[in-house]
Amino acid sequence: MSIVLYRVDDRLIHGQVIVGWGQPFHVGFIVLVDDAVRASDWEQDLYRMGVPPHIEVSFASIAEAAQRLPEWEADPRPGILLAGSIDTLAALSANSHRVKRINLGGIHHQPGRSQRLRYVYLSDSEAVKLKELAGQGIEITAQDVPTARPVPLEEFA
Amino acid sequence: MTRARRPPLGRSLLRLFTVQGSWNYERLQGIGVGVAEEPLLRDLRAGENGAAYRAAVARGAHFFNAHPYLCGLAVGAAARAEHEGATPEQVERLRSALCGPLGSLGDRLVWAGWLPVTSALALIGVALGLGLDAVIGFLVVYNVGHVGLRWWALWAGWTHGVRVAVALHQPLLQRAAAWSGPAMALAVGMALPLSAGYLGGAFTGWAREVLAVATAAGCALLWWGRGRLTGLRYGLALLAVAALVGWLWR
Amino acid sequence: MSLELQLVLLLWGTLVGLDLVSVPQMMIARPIVAGPIAGAMLGDLGAGLQLGVLFELFQYDVLPMGATRYPEYGPATVAAVSAAHGAAGALGLGLGALVGLVTAMLGGLSMYIVRRATARAVHAVTDRLEAGDARLLVRLHVSAIARDALRAAAVTAAGLGFAHLVRLFLAGTLPLRGVTLLGIAAVAAALAAATAGTLRVVGRGASLGWFVAGVLGGTVLVWLR
Repeated sequence: MSIVLYRVDDRLIHGQVIVGWGQPFHVGFIVLVDDAVRASDWEQDLYRMGVPPHIEVSFASIAEAAQRLPEWEADPRPGILLAGSIDTLAALSANSHRVKRINLGGIHHQPGRSQRLRYVYLSDSEAVKLKELAGQGIEITAQDVPTARPVPLEEFA
Repeated sequence: MTRARRPPLGRSLLRLFTVQGSWNYERLQGIGVGVAEEPLLRDLRAGENGAAYRAAVARGAHFFNAHPYLCGLAVGAAARAEHEGATPEQVERLRSALCGPLGSLGDRLVWAGWLPVTSALALIGVALGLGLDAVIGFLVVYNVGHVGLRWWALWAGWTHGVRVAVALHQPLLQRAAAWSGPAMALAVGMALPLSAGYLGGAFTGWAREVLAVATAAGCALLWWGRGRLTGLRYGLALLAVAALVGWLWR
Repeated sequence: MSLELQLVLLLWGTLVGLDLVSVPQMMIARPIVAGPIAGAMLGDLGAGLQLGVLFELFQYDVLPMGATRYPEYGPATVAAVSAAHGAAGALGLGLGALVGLVTAMLGGLSMYIVRRATARAVHAVTDRLEAGDARLLVRLHVSAIARDALRAAAVTAAGLGFAHLVRLFLAGTLPLRGVTLLGIAAVAAALAAATAGTLRVVGRGASLGWFVAGVLGGTVLVWLR
């Protein structure tokens, strides 16, 4: 079944991921790719607390994720790969060339970012990076929950 | 390091009941969380002309989003960390790391658990003829859990501070989270045919057959058309079709 | 319906709208509460319970997570009960559903507008917030709550106005079959929304078995009655 969702979401594992996407897709595992969380035991402990026991959670750095991606994609269970930033998924796709679709699920306000959608704020450089990824043939859409319409990149960046 | 002798948890709890009052697309719950945390930070006003207090108030109002009933955990933990002299980076990291887990746990426990379970029990009660008693029962039972969870979250956050993950290991919480899914499925599953019987009582003969077909078609359309079709849109479309057919078929 | 009664409904709808997100989220915003209380105010508890059940089913289609946009069924149910008041059975269901669904859509849109307005208000004072101005923080919060209260009042007023028009111009003109079909449409859409919404949350895991058991148990209870 492999990875059903490559998602950029700065809140990482939260309700939209577990209840919104996890339940209807019957997700069996989640990979959280974030160098800082990978290095922090207490943060990993917190994120595990938000996940029901039937979903396995793995934490990986960008380098580890690039290496293990083929293994996760061969997993018979449906899975979600989560990253907290566009840079993380851009680095992962550059290293592995396996990421074909990217879902923007929640990129919130920070200084330098402007609002593109209710739940997507981007800086100009982030918008350019997304367009570059799209130019490489990666399908990029914004969709917070499965019941919302997937918004193509060209509509907001 | 400072430590409030009697932390004004009650005042903070009262403010937590309004935590989503200023929900917005820029900071989400941030402003409300900052307002709820502020009473717990007042002891920091002494010294340095209140610089520590002001810095902590500003941090408390930064972007945040979690389940509203569990926000108290972040409020208490962040305030306690501020009192214990955690660095600004540590406090920001703690708040940011709590967003997701508290959202996920709260959504499973409450939005996809306790709320639909108790509301389904109310539907069952109304369908079985309990009337207003079922509604009042729902409000009382639901809010026992609601207020209890809000209070526990704030208390646990303040008690554990940066080690707040300990609170989330609470066996009762984990058991409740594990059982919320099956309990919701059972209760809502039972409420559906009873509600259909209650509302469908107004129809007889051909009308019941049309009702069954329109319901089944709606289930299929909503299941496979998610992302494009919602219950509200299906309802409005069906009402328009019904009005049109009703006018033509006099 | 007297002006006093309309004002009481307006007040109730405002409280209900405020409860949904802002204060205090004790779930008077749920249709199963908002409807029967509105019905009791009108002296028509039956219509209140019926519309409360109908819109509670629609509510199962909604999961209020993060920045998701969703219809607001609380004030909508109050307006729906006002439309259905005095109209028994299928007619009440049909008229109530029409008024309620339109009002719910308006409510969802109004929340989006208010959240954007609050974001602009917050953005405008970012520097002072970053300086830790606690008074400003509280003022910003209170004014946002007041904005939401005004929004809830406006949505309820619009819903009650629409209900009045529907009762005035539509209620007496529908043919019998039209009345029945409107009622069927309302109930079928509510049941479909509840079933699909619940199945999305239940998923294909172990909970699906519990859902099936519940449906079977409920069906047996209906049959026994």
